[in-house]
Amino acid sequence: MALADVCGLKSTDFQARSLGLSCSSFDLYNALESSEKFSIPFNIDPLENLKYFTEKDSNVKIHFDHGTTTLAFKFQHGVVVAVDSRATAGPYIASQTVKKVIEINPYLLGTMAGGAADCSYWERVLARQCRIYELRNKERISVAAASKLLANIVYNYKGMGLSMGTMICGYDKRGPGLYYVDSDGERLTNNMFSVGSGSVYAYGVLDSGYKWDLNVEEALDLGQRAIYHATFRDAYSGGVVNLYHMKETGWEFISRTDVADLHYRYQDEKQAKKK
Amino acid sequence: MSERYSFSLTTFSPSGKLVQIEYALAAVAAGSPSVGIKATNGVVLATEKKQKSILYDENSIHKIEMITKNVGMVYSGMGPDYRLLVKNARKLSQQYYLSYQEQIPTAQIVQRIANVMQEFTQSGGVRPFGVSLLIAGWDDDEERPYLYQCDPSGAYFAWKATAMGKNYVNGKTFLEKRYSDNLELEDAVHTAILTLKESFEGQMTEDNIEIGICNKDGFRRLTPAEVKDYLASVQ
Amino acid sequence: MSILAYNGAAVIAMKGKECVAIAADRRFGIQAQTVNTDFQKIFEMGPRVYIGLPGLATDVQTVAQRLQFKLNLYELRENRRIKPKTFMSMVSNLLYERRFGPYFVEPVIAGLDPKTNEPFVASMDLIGCPMVTNDFVVSGTCSEQMYGMCESLWEPDMEPDDLFETISQALLNALDRDAVSGWGAVVYVIEKDKVTRKELKTRMD
Repeated sequence: MALADVCGLKSTDFQARSLGLSCSSFDLYNALESSEKFSIPFNIDPLENLKYFTEKDSNVKIHFDHGTTTLAFKFQHGVVVAVDSRATAGPYIASQTVKKVIEINPYLLGTMAGGAADCSYWERVLARQCRIYELRNKERISVAAASKLLANIVYNYKGMGLSMGTMICGYDKRGPGLYYVDSDGERLTNNMFSVGSGSVYAYGVLDSGYKWDLNVEEALDLGQRAIYHATFRDAYSGGVVNLYHMKETGWEFISRTDVADLHYRYQDEKQAKKK
Repeated sequence: MSERYSFSLTTFSPSGKLVQIEYALAAVAAGSPSVGIKATNGVVLATEKKQKSILYDENSIHKIEMITKNVGMVYSGMGPDYRLLVKNARKLSQQYYLSYQEQIPTAQIVQRIANVMQEFTQSGGVRPFGVSLLIAGWDDDEERPYLYQCDPSGAYFAWKATAMGKNYVNGKTFLEKRYSDNLELEDAVHTAILTLKESFEGQMTEDNIEIGICNKDGFRRLTPAEVKDYLASVQ
Repeated sequence: MSILAYNGAAVIAMKGKECVAIAADRRFGIQAQTVNTDFQKIFEMGPRVYIGLPGLATDVQTVAQRLQFKLNLYELRENRRIKPKTFMSMVSNLLYERRFGPYFVEPVIAGLDPKTNEPFVASMDLIGCPMVTNDFVVSGTCSEQMYGMCESLWEPDMEPDDLFETISQALLNALDRDAVSGWGAVVYVIEKDKVTRKELKTRMD
């Protein structure tokens, strides 16, 4: 009660229902068991209520993990996925070792940008749905279908404050697959995406070095370089570069490289070229 | 009114002199004598303070004034002009302290007073000061004394010892003979009294001279009793 | 976001035994975007007097230039070098003159007294309230982190080499927990007969 007062939540309805004490149809325990049945505060606009937690000038604010650089691109030998590992709360660096690639299953990877909890939860839900699909149909789900599943799920919560910008990467009958899905319900496919505050810098590097017929080594280096340059320019990206290669045989984790090492390696390369 | 007539009164004569300043210096030379002597461990200022009538209360008005804890001054010339300079000097010292949280060095206050005096030679509607100043100070940083003279033109000089006012030529000649570089403050006080005595008419008493000393403990004006003791030891 | 954190900066000054050190990061950024990584934040104001100016970059340069201006006049007028403490008053007055439209810098001053070689460190808020300490001062976007490092690493009477190591570690580890400062660092160790300037290799993210 006191906390709700501090947060400025006015309705008494909300408290009774969300605790699941008086109302059987919105039971809290049921809600935890089923991802499709979240207890939504009755008679209250969640977007309006969440403002107390998300708005800048609120005195009870929750900092979501916003600063990020993630990228993925298709090329002749599959998909390269590269991400940084920094989590920030304002200018404070909360972690330098976040895993921003979510391993959905051996043929699907998801990347994480925006709300860390939103991304990891909904991609876990996606993993379950994909497995169920596999059991029912005796074949793997396509990347297109998987990404559409995720897009449909988050669309149900549109306007309720979910925050995620994710790339679903995989390999199926159609070859390498790459889809961008975000919490607004947007779902796009293309050869190359980058998401997060450092994405503009990553795009810069990718655009100047990208070709469809890159070989594997070149492609991995391009991904790593793009993330490194983003961590250099963007204050909210940093830590290590996690690098994945999505092949016909499923994804392979390539490397985890500290950007500090990369910086001095690239610097030496540049120095050597000058001479 | 002030706009119309705000020309400087101090203008050049055809021969390139500023006669107003020369008149000011004449006013100083006609004023009562003052002496300043720098010793190894301090400075002494001494001045004649003859009253025109025995009815004056001798100890109401002083010619030697403290500016800061470490700086004091005396004048020869016109008393009222001096008061304005004392007021200015004190204010300038405090402005310095406000800026730097540090006592103003002697050289700095001298420079600033000299600035004021110079402004009165070029500004409109004013005349130069009819005083010359002797400024005694102790520099805490350098741990040494300073003695400066400041003239109506705004010119200033550092002295080992000097005399101003009536009979200053004789005073200086006397000091030239008596001064030595290893003089101690006590001796300097004696010498200062003797210098005044050179041209003093009548009996010198604790009521008709004033003495100020400045050393590592700061600047202070001697009390009549102290002056009396010095006079006794001189005679 | 505070205007003081618009460009990002971190400065520390520490006392040692007959020596002081001052260190700063080198980033110039515009909010999240790193623009330059050799931005000067520490300025020599005399042979043994240094000032670190974290804050809004435009004001950093203006304040440094205005202080240099005032200092040049002071040194010509008084024909002597300024004491760190006197310099602090000068900075304080400069900042307070803009009490109702302040420069967005929170200076750190470090120096040795020109005569006694007494170490001196002090910091100030953006309107010039001086704070003199006996150990260390910090200022900038990661002041909490720097305080934490300094509280645990600093000890009295460090020799210059020790002091260099301590201030460097304090700064470097603080920078690693701040997104908007870092990208290189520079350390000055000030002793009575020499000043050593060293650039530190840091993480560049």
